[in-house]
Parts: sequence; C-alpha cells; structure tokens
Amino acid sequence: MSKTLSRRRAIGRVARGAAVTGIGLTAGFLVKKAEGQVVWQIDAAKCVNSRLGEFGVKVCDLCVKECVVTQSAVRAVNEFSKCGRCCVCPSYFNVKSAVGRDGLPSEKLCPRDAIQRKPIGEADPNDPANNFYEYVIDEVKCDGCGKCVMACKEPAGLGSIVLRVRHDLCVNCNNCAISTACPKDALSLWPALKAVLGESAPA
Amino acid sequence: MIWRRAALALLAACLLTCLTGAACAQALQYERPVERAPQEKDIGGGYATPKVQKPLPRGAWLEILDVVLLAAAMGVSVWIVVRKRSRRWLVALATASLAYFGFYREGCVCPIGSIQNVTVALTDPTYHIPMVVTATFFLPLLVAVFYGRAFCGGVCALGAIQELVLLKPIQVPRRLDQALGLLKYAYLAAAIWFAILPAISRDFVICRYDPFVSLFRRSGFAHMLALGAGFLVLGMFVGRPYCRYLCPYGGLLSWFSRLATRGVTITPDKELDCGLCTEACPYGAIDQMRAVRRKCLYCARCYASCPREGPLARAKDIVPVEELR
Repeated sequence: MSKTLSRRRAIGRVARGAAVTGIGLTAGFLVKKAEGQVVWQIDAAKCVNSRLGEFGVKVCDLCVKECVVTQSAVRAVNEFSKCGRCCVCPSYFNVKSAVGRDGLPSEKLCPRDAIQRKPIGEADPNDPANNFYEYVIDEVKCDGCGKCVMACKEPAGLGSIVLRVRHDLCVNCNNCAISTACPKDALSLWPALKAVLGESAPA
Repeated sequence: MIWRRAALALLAACLLTCLTGAACAQALQYERPVERAPQEKDIGGGYATPKVQKPLPRGAWLEILDVVLLAAAMGVSVWIVVRKRSRRWLVALATASLAYFGFYREGCVCPIGSIQNVTVALTDPTYHIPMVVTATFFLPLLVAVFYGRAFCGGVCALGAIQELVLLKPIQVPRRLDQALGLLKYAYLAAAIWFAILPAISRDFVICRYDPFVSLFRRSGFAHMLALGAGFLVLGMFVGRPYCRYLCPYGGLLSWFSRLATRGVTITPDKELDCGLCTEACPYGAIDQMRAVRRKCLYCARCYASCPREGPLARAKDIVPVEELR
C-alpha cells in the first residue's frame, strides 16, 4: 500500500516538475520576444478620410460605428503645425450653408460641435479674413465620424486633421472591430514605442 | 464642383481672394485659402503652436498591477479554500474580482483570450506579444499544477458572474455532463486553428464570441448581449455552463489540475457520510466523497453545505451526530 502510494507520489512529482519546466520554457521563449505594449494605430496615409488625393469617396464613418467602446476610441486630431488657420475653415464651417450676416457660413460642419475656433491675437472686426484662427478639437465631444477629416484634405484644406486612436480609451481588442471593417486596412497593431505613438506608420 | 456654391462665402472671407478681388467671384473655383501652413514666425505676436494631444496608453505599471492583482487574487483564493474553508469569503473574493477584472477592466486582458495570443506568438515570428499577456496566460496554469483551478473560483470574471447568478442548481446527468465537457476541447482546437492561420485570415474566436464581455463593457452587438443574457439565465439553473462546457482555458486548467495535490478537500467523516456536499456541488465535481481536481471550480459550496464546517458547525444548537442515528 505504502509502496504504491509512494510510487504514485513520485510519478506525480515528476509530472509536476515536467509541467512547471514546460510552462517555464514556453514563457521564457515568449518573454524573450516580448515587445512591451502593442497598441492599435491608424495609418493616416491609408485612411480614406485623410488620404490626400483621394476624391469622390464618401465620408467613412466605420470608426464610429464599429468600435466596441461606446463613444469610439478613434477621435479627430488637428495637427497644428500643418493647419492653415484659415478664417473660413472647411472643417469648422459647413461651407455649403447660407452666408450669415457676418460674412461667414451660418452652419458648422461638426454634428457634435466639437471644434472650437478662436482668433490668434487680435482680429480686426473689419477684416476678419486677414487673421489666423486656431481650431482645437474637443476630444471629449468628438466621436471620430471623420467629416472634418474629409473636409480638411486637399484641395479644400491642407489635410491637417486626421483620425487617431486615443490610446487611453482604446481597450486593445485582439479583434479590433474597426480594423476588421476598415476597407483600407488602415488600422494595425504596432509596438507602442513613444516615437511611434500618434505618428505615421513605423519604418 | 461641390465647392462652387460655397465660393461666394469663401471668397468674401478668404485671404487669397482679398488679394485677387471679388470681381471674378462667380468664375473662380474654390481655392484653398492658404497653400502652406503658417508657422509660428509667420503668425508672430509670440504665438506658440499648441501641442498636439497624444493620449498615451494605460501606464505600464498599471498593466503590471493587473498581473500582480491576478496573482494575489489566486493566492487569496487558494488561502480561502485550503485554510479558511469558507464559502462566504470566496463569494466576497469573486465579487471583488468581477468588479475589478470584469466591470472595471472590462474583461481584458484575460487568460482565456490569451490562449490565442500565445498561440500566434509561438507560430508567427513577426507577432508582438506583450509581457503582461504572457504572464496572464501562464500564472493560472502554474497555480493549477499545485492547487487546482484556483483561478476559476474567485478570480475569473466570467466564472464569477456565473457563480453569482447560480441560484437553483440542478444536477446535470453524469453522461451528459461528460459529453458536453468535450465541447470545450473542440472549442480550444478551433481557437488554436483560427489563431495559427496567416495574419490576413486570422481570427480570435474566443474574444469574438466571449458571451460576457459585452456585459462587462455595457455595450456591444445585440446578439452578443443576448447570448450573454442567455448564458446568465441558463446559469441560474445549470452551474456555470460556459466554464464547464465551453471555456477553452478551463480545458487547459483541467489538464494541469490533474497534477495538483492540494485544493478543495472533503474531510472524510466516519460517523457522518451524509453526502450533502455531493448534492451541493453544482458541477458534479465530488465523486465518492472526494473532490475531483479537474472538475472542481473552487466555489466552496461543499464547505457551506457541510454540517461539520463553517457556520453550521459553530452553531450552538447543532444536533450531535449520535442523536441522528
């Protein structure tokens, strides 16, 4: 009795040892090729809404519709260094709307009123066009519908507004629903190196 | 073309048109007000270009904290089951885990889904697997080798939500239970198969068909929310249907937990072979007064049902065993 028990115990010990070694070796192999964090990022050069030179396409709003986060983790971002700071910004104003008394289009483009417009320095009330304006996107209001992104690209604008993943909101799904739905394959997982975050595709 | 109607509005306002004059307004196509983005020096007046928002991912230390909490919760789970032998404590732990790993962390990252990441990482040399995911996958297995499925009982958010809704457990016939139990291995095989496909057609089926993640996120596709609700309703009567019959990680854990030497133990009592624990176990994990490691989900219901354990044993007016005979 005691002999069989001890034999069973010995076999158990060997099996446990083997299992732990197996786990350790596999884990070690994986840790060796580990990359820290990886995050989903949008390649602006592929996104139809921001790809310069792409005409006759409808605004793509898959980023809003597909994301599993209630208010999509994809938001529009104005890259200020590329912004023309126009008086009549085609992304801020609905330039097709009737002109109001102040000589500016009466409607705004953003359905959620997420873009703020303020003059840089003092604006001459008689010549408001001869001034620069700063357009700041309220990231809390924005849901990444892409309307402003589409309006800002050539030839109307300079393409300073792009869609980006907010990494603090993104839950990093294995199956990113947007990336699956994206017709241009613009979303992909990249290692979250500081240099890559918010920039274009890694080299 | 579409800009033509807007031309008047723009021409009245834009910088360029101020120079060219409004006379040819009708004829002009829309032109971009500026050709080049004005920089700080063009704008002048001490203007500084604002910083572009770059929201960073969740801090690395918070990710590590998740792993630490996972390990700590498993430690507590083992302690409750082996030392404390208390169902009440285990329910408290399960509730805490459900709140943190489920509703706060929204069900991600979990060992169940990490099966796929590990599979992909092992087969695709270009795939990046974060350290945290590796740890999340292996820690519960390591614990299972020594203590059985400690992860299932008080730590797994998917398990906890089913544990807490199980109100009127019915016993599933043993044969049926065993047959359905094979489903999880089929699911495991399918998940691995879809994960080793080349990147273009790769799919993470475990995550895609996770029945509870939509509940944790309080949003999701209607059919997935319905599936989650369906599992919860079923789970009120059939103990943990997802864990026992579908969870692929449960399959791995049950393999590894066969090696375990410690875990839930039913104290044999010569005077009182009442079998109340067998009846109380909703998972059919007690066989001949012994807890079956590979099936035991660390729920501690057997302790709660035992007249020799816990609150009943401490009650003053407990009937002595002799009188029962």
